[in-house]
Amino acid sequence: MIDLIIALIKVVGIWSFTLGVAAVMTWVERRGAALIQDRPGPNRAGLFGILQPVCDGIKLFTKENIVPEKADKVLFNLGPIMFAIPAFSAFAVIPFGDRIIIGGKEILLQISNIDIGFLYIVALGSLAVYGVIIGGWGSNNKYSILGGLRSTAQLISYEVPWGLALLGVVLVYGTFNLREIALAQQGTFLGILPNWGVFHQPLGFILFMVAAYAEANRVPFDLPEAESEIVSGYHTEYGSMKLGVYLFGEYVNITTLSALTVTFYFGSWHLPYINMASFLGDGTIIYGIASFLIFCLKVSFFLWLFVWVRWTVPRFRYDQVMKLGWKSLIPLALFNLFITTLFIQIKYYIGG
Amino acid sequence: MAIGDLYFWIFAGLALLAGIRVITSKEAIYSALWLLTVFISLSALYIHLRAPMIAIFQVTIYAGAILVLIIFVLTLLTRPDDKMGEFQHNVSFRGFGALTGILSTGLMLVMITGITEIVKKAPVPADLGSTGSFAKYLLNNYLIHFEIASVLLLAALICAIYIAKKDKKAVTQ
Repeated sequence: MIDLIIALIKVVGIWSFTLGVAAVMTWVERRGAALIQDRPGPNRAGLFGILQPVCDGIKLFTKENIVPEKADKVLFNLGPIMFAIPAFSAFAVIPFGDRIIIGGKEILLQISNIDIGFLYIVALGSLAVYGVIIGGWGSNNKYSILGGLRSTAQLISYEVPWGLALLGVVLVYGTFNLREIALAQQGTFLGILPNWGVFHQPLGFILFMVAAYAEANRVPFDLPEAESEIVSGYHTEYGSMKLGVYLFGEYVNITTLSALTVTFYFGSWHLPYINMASFLGDGTIIYGIASFLIFCLKVSFFLWLFVWVRWTVPRFRYDQVMKLGWKSLIPLALFNLFITTLFIQIKYYIGG
Repeated sequence: MAIGDLYFWIFAGLALLAGIRVITSKEAIYSALWLLTVFISLSALYIHLRAPMIAIFQVTIYAGAILVLIIFVLTLLTRPDDKMGEFQHNVSFRGFGALTGILSTGLMLVMITGITEIVKKAPVPADLGSTGSFAKYLLNNYLIHFEIASVLLLAALICAIYIAKKDKKAVTQ
């Protein structure tokens, strides 16, 4: 029973955490855009416009819910739901901190510590495309359908290098379990570097980041919703909170991808060169909170990177996206995998 | 009824219901979505059989790759107000479908007896369904099957490239 309550608290906590981060991100995005473009940005609601997400939320909730006459009603309503479910479920296996021990009871700061966490992430990533294509198709609008088609092609193409790049990390740490991958990144690598995935897999990290931007439909890969070409892509016909779910789902996706980047490549909750567990005591509450805060700090950097890139790089052309995916990223990812396995074998024979 | 049984009956029923809807839906895209429901219920059943690896592969490969491609082709080649009526009422399609259905049902009936024999007799290994044991079996006991499958896939890939190249030449001429 107590396990159930703890699990429930963790689920609700992470649910509200991702929602909160997504809400704050809508504000960060607009303030960040303003900062980069040298203008004030939204600054009326609250201090520095921090209440802007609340106002946006109220606006979206109270707007009229319009369903186009020619749209397929069922698919039109199903689209946002199928977009939101994979986006919200992916965080379930990501560790957001180490552990807390209360009265001899170990509480992992992770919703579900399953052995196939990596495969779970890949599976949910591959389901994300349904919401987009069904929404686009159900709208019965040529721009929406074009956006949905582009998105399907793009997601299928970038799923491959994304998964292959992550497979490199899995090979290095020898496990699919995300918590074990995070735990293995403690200590130093080659004596001087932190034992983080990015130093083991520099090429893999770059490939993963590029593919992650494509998976999240972010600039420079925002072709599914390129506003200068196809109005707004798959969510052209959407309004009120259904549009809100799409936009929100995108920020939840970004949060998940940033958390994955930190987990796989940037040592999750570990600080470089400092063993926090021996410093603060393994399993104490303060250690749990500290590890969670370090994780959040790293994630927030990658969230900012998403905004930064969005307002810095122009959009690719469609054929450039396909060429980059199939002719550069996939061969490089396979090469990365080959080199990684080669090194592991050499290490195996030398080390015995 | 134990909770495990309830779990099995819910997802088995859902899979059957969705399977029937796959062949009775009037629009192709709905058939594809019902097929997605079938795949997800099947993967839930695999979890019930303590084979989480297979469950995840079911979702990743069938739902995440193959069905996405099917939907991609559907959205590319049909229109939202298209109906499948002319296909569904085509007598030769229906006859072919009925024949395939009867044959595969017969095959399954033949196999059911064999499966019950295996299920009863074989002891369940301790590490059933874990990634390590899966990989060990695949790369030790079934390596030849694995390699043959990969050669088959390579052949399919080469064929696809050949067909694509030929079309391109025809267009330029």
